Amino acid sequence: MATVRGCNVPDDLYYNVDNNVWARREADGTLTVGMTAYACSLAGEIVSYTPKKAGKEIEQNKSVSTVESGKWVGPVKAPVTGEILAINPDVAAKPGTINADPYGSGWLVKMKPTDWDGQSGALITGGAVATAFETKMNADGFGGC
Amino acid sequence: MTIQQQTWRLLDTGTQAAAQNIALNRALLDARQAQQSPNTLRFLGFEPCALLGFHQSAAQELNLDYCAEHGVAIQRRITGGGAIYFDTTQLGWELYLDKQTLGTADMTAISRRICTAVARGISSLGVNAEFRPRNDIEVDGRKISGTGGAFDGDALMYQGTLLIAFDVEKMLRVLNIPAEKLSDKAISSARERVTNLETLLGRIPERSEVIAAIQAAIAHEFNVSFAVGELNTVEQALYQTALAEIDHPEWVGMIDLPASDRPTLTAVQKFTGGLLRVNVAYDQVKQRVKQVWFSGDVFISPRRTLIDLEAALRDSHVDNLDGIVRDFFASRQVDMLTLTPADILGLIKMAIQPVEVVA
Repeated sequence: MATVRGCNVPDDLYYNVDNNVWARREADGTLTVGMTAYACSLAGEIVSYTPKKAGKEIEQNKSVSTVESGKWVGPVKAPVTGEILAINPDVAAKPGTINADPYGSGWLVKMKPTDWDGQSGALITGGAVATAFETKMNADGFGGC
Repeated sequence: MTIQQQTWRLLDTGTQAAAQNIALNRALLDARQAQQSPNTLRFLGFEPCALLGFHQSAAQELNLDYCAEHGVAIQRRITGGGAIYFDTTQLGWELYLDKQTLGTADMTAISRRICTAVARGISSLGVNAEFRPRNDIEVDGRKISGTGGAFDGDALMYQGTLLIAFDVEKMLRVLNIPAEKLSDKAISSARERVTNLETLLGRIPERSEVIAAIQAAIAHEFNVSFAVGELNTVEQALYQTALAEIDHPEWVGMIDLPASDRPTLTAVQKFTGGLLRVNVAYDQVKQRVKQVWFSGDVFISPRRTLIDLEAALRDSHVDNLDGIVRDFFASRQVDMLTLTPADILGLIKMAIQPVEVVA
């Protein structure tokens, strides 16, 4: 578990740092996707969550879900192209779960990636995660979680 | 050494139907994200319409029969927040920027900075406008501009309304807000919560005068100058695509939830200092207090306290009510005689508690 400016960024996950989104590769090859703790800190309490429907194919960097916090609305973008397999009923019932547990019960969608091997190279994982987020937080003028 | 001052684009798209205006929101945000648009300040007007927040349901928020009978168009914004009634007596203002321009990605900080700047511009017209967290601009406790934002990657749009003149009765008829049943009392009660430039100035200022005031305040805040511009070809193409999506029942009906899931609940209690009533628009599914409306004759000084508390409680999860009420009263001097913050909190909880059915 890496921590950057007080924000947890587990280094076993795969990140699109610009989009502030993570993916976990599950044993069966599917992905769990969510927002980073840093994204949650920037947004504040998330009050609404509208995911794309299960079965829908989403291209890399297109929206898998829309979220709202403090009257701000924005997309959470797919780290790779894939089909939405499941959305999170617990988050639908209580969107603040995303803030409370962004890498656990606050996941947004589960996906079946179309070309993980071809597209995951663009994602950051392991030892490079902390440096990448430090650079982004610096560019964003971010004080800390 | 002087820093080269940036020039931002000034757009004035006049008065249009709601669908056109919202499609332009989408097109201009997408173009800004694709770096096909400059930083832009846009002014706009609406034909009479009810605008839902992005995640809201028309059946829950609006009086649909009234809207249909009176030609009030219904549209869905791409920004968050609550439903509003918009007509030609209001001015819309919008900024399209990127996070680099703002020097922060913190949404709360961005809202505060933009609202504070616009409040300064409104104040230059001769009123005392201030930012009120989370997203309002108010004059002496009365809302004069509501705001909200949308972002995509590094690009963002932040928009607000400004009430130049305003038909409060029409607002009460269009929106399902938890006010008293429509009456003179409801109208005067609403006027304690919203105001407009006509009421404050005793005249209706020219649209150009209001635009110049906001433009000057934004120019000062961001150290920029403005050049009047038009939509470019990329934006025009994006607009046509966006209009096809947004000027469509599927967009407006994208979120369709039953009104029964979001009732207005009421509790009344007599205290030593008088009667206090609370109406709560309550999302029973998500357990969120959407809007609170206090009335009654309890003594509270300053008078605006309960209206400020309504703003602080807006769209709050039931688990957070205790903390919000505690922090609210801890941060200000209020004289309520024997009434306590716990009494007010208890009344809200009394309104939203599950009704036990006795067999």
